[in-house]
Amino acid sequence: MKPGWKQVWAVLRREYVERVKTKGFVFSTIAIPVLMLGTTGLMAFMAVRAEQSNRQMALVDFTGEVGEEVARRMDAAGYDVEIVDAQVGLEELDRRVLEDEIEAYVLLDDLTVQEGAFGYRSKGSPGRVRGALLESIVVETVLELRLSVMEDAVGVRQLLDGGRMEFERLGEQQSEVQEASGIATGIAGVIILYMAMLLYGQFVLRSVLDEKRNRVVEVVISAVTPGRLMLGKILGVGSMGMTQLGIWALCAALIGLLGVPMLAASLPQADLSQLGELLPGVGVLLLLLAYFILGFFLYSSLFAAVGAMCNTEEEAQQANFPVIMLLIVPFMFQMFSIEGGGFAWMDWAALLPFFSPIMMFPRAASGAVPWWMVGLSLLLMVIAVGATAWVAGRIYRVGILMQGKRPTLRELARWVREA
Amino acid sequence: MTEAAVRLDGVTKSFGAHTAVSSFDLEIPRGAILGLLGPNGSGKTTTIRMMMAILIPDRGTVELFGGSPDSARRSRVGYLPEERGVYEKMKVLEQLVFLGEIRGIDRRIVRKRAMEWLERLDLGEWATKKVQALSKGMQQKVQFIGTVLHNPDLLILDEPFSGLDPINQEVLESIVLEQQERGVTILFSTHLMEQAERLCERVCLISKSRKVLDGELKEIKRRERSNVVAVEFEGDDHWLSRLGVNEIERVGYAHHLTLNARVDSDRILAAAVAEGVSLRRFELLEPTLREIFVRHAGDTAGEPVLMAAGGAR
Repeated sequence: MKPGWKQVWAVLRREYVERVKTKGFVFSTIAIPVLMLGTTGLMAFMAVRAEQSNRQMALVDFTGEVGEEVARRMDAAGYDVEIVDAQVGLEELDRRVLEDEIEAYVLLDDLTVQEGAFGYRSKGSPGRVRGALLESIVVETVLELRLSVMEDAVGVRQLLDGGRMEFERLGEQQSEVQEASGIATGIAGVIILYMAMLLYGQFVLRSVLDEKRNRVVEVVISAVTPGRLMLGKILGVGSMGMTQLGIWALCAALIGLLGVPMLAASLPQADLSQLGELLPGVGVLLLLLAYFILGFFLYSSLFAAVGAMCNTEEEAQQANFPVIMLLIVPFMFQMFSIEGGGFAWMDWAALLPFFSPIMMFPRAASGAVPWWMVGLSLLLMVIAVGATAWVAGRIYRVGILMQGKRPTLRELARWVREA
Repeated sequence: MTEAAVRLDGVTKSFGAHTAVSSFDLEIPRGAILGLLGPNGSGKTTTIRMMMAILIPDRGTVELFGGSPDSARRSRVGYLPEERGVYEKMKVLEQLVFLGEIRGIDRRIVRKRAMEWLERLDLGEWATKKVQALSKGMQQKVQFIGTVLHNPDLLILDEPFSGLDPINQEVLESIVLEQQERGVTILFSTHLMEQAERLCERVCLISKSRKVLDGELKEIKRRERSNVVAVEFEGDDHWLSRLGVNEIERVGYAHHLTLNARVDSDRILAAAVAEGVSLRRFELLEPTLREIFVRHAGDTAGEPVLMAAGGAR
């Protein structure tokens, strides 16, 4: 390795090791996926638990038509159902509920046959899962009953099962599933890119600002040129970001690997043959990586310049604003055209290097723009990264040694010219 | 191998309308120890930063070991800036390893060397502690280790002793002198005249962004000889008043007599012998660096220069 790269490597390594060692990194890396999985998992678990307990129920049928079938279906769904004679009287049933002999009782009457409405009486709420299940049991039973006296029962049943749109894209061919996957990948990608550029960019800023504030930077640049220091820093924070995203991706892959077969086992009737198509292709993932790397470089060199021109955290927060706006504006645009459509001019706005990661990637993933546009945006970004690094490098070089008041725009221009 | 360790030639640097350093020439021979003296704001730090190629002079040239500072500073120079900083969250040893690494030394070698230095400065047990746990004085010692870790040929130290207690100050002074014995060229800036007098062979005085005086301390002192004679004796002191000396000052047991055109030191000695007093001490006083400085800086600046006698900055 040439001495210059050795220094960049030393800076990178310090930045990386010191960051990855912090409690903040360990916590956020582990806690965020655990928290997200945990809360959704816990909610699902609680719902299922609530549904599986307290299943002793009574059923009163005033119609004399659907009671037995409803009870049979409830039984099949795992409920412990006792059909109670209508003569027993509701007061008696109320008493049994109140004294916890049974959880609830279901009440079927004329309205049930007409509209599918039925009564459910219990002390506690039935919960959404039980509600939906009982509703579908009752409606299906009543439907069966009504259909059985119709002439065209088979036709109606087909109609009920039907209701699908047969969509055909003209021009390039892409399956429905692929298209949905492209949109989903685009949305996920936008969130990852936005977070990575904003969050990890802020790390670069903080790191520059800290070195400047505690004056350690002067010793360091007596050995390393400012350009190499900035590069090492950006690469170090970037590697940390990649590590974190990598760990999360690995978690997601593991969950997918374990979760999908479990899902398949629990839903035997579901058609999982198209699942493979849901996964984003290698090409799209490489594109995401390209936009991540270029976008991160672009924004973190700006953030490094901001860090170098400020003296305090408060100053940095103000000076940060224009850069963060550069991120928020395309994000807002993207919200309006979430499915890759939107106005035609947005496709062109997506070519602006500072907008490209957030606006061009989702368009590319969902196939909404031609490939030459994607290529052009990458090329423009490469050029922009070079130009931004040059300008930011000059601001950085002057700024890190400058104490006192924050520079005006005119002074900044002078730094860039004279550095 | 005869080039000077440091050579500045007509170096000038301005910041906007303010001229920080003006046509500065300086040559430091190899192996010398030079004190750069001047009050705060006189341009010491700017000069040093230009030597380190952290600032680029507007005019003039800077050479280290006969080449550009860029090529020498990384591996041949050890630099302790005035504004000292540390990575507070890093462990002491890790920090030193990093500082050595960016100067091109292998990690394993630098780790070993750093550990030796830490042991030597009684910081061995702090090696795996975070820097922020150390006292200011200890941090300063760690920073000092960082400047000598790569065995540089030239040490550039900006106010290296400020803010240290006397014991640690002495420890660092002895290490600086020891480095000089090893053949290292040393430049340090200070506003403490007494310290410069104690340590330096050569001094360079600067005031209001200009060089006032530089050269070997002995030579300067000889040239700047004062006109005061200190006399200490037993017996009556009436004879002093008959000498024709206008200014007589009593300092402890001694009398300081200021010579003038009619009275030189020989005449005073002759008078003392003639009077028959028993002489304890008869000395032509050398001027202190402080006096020389005030004399020169006062001249060029047109006003007396006030120097803090102690304390940081």
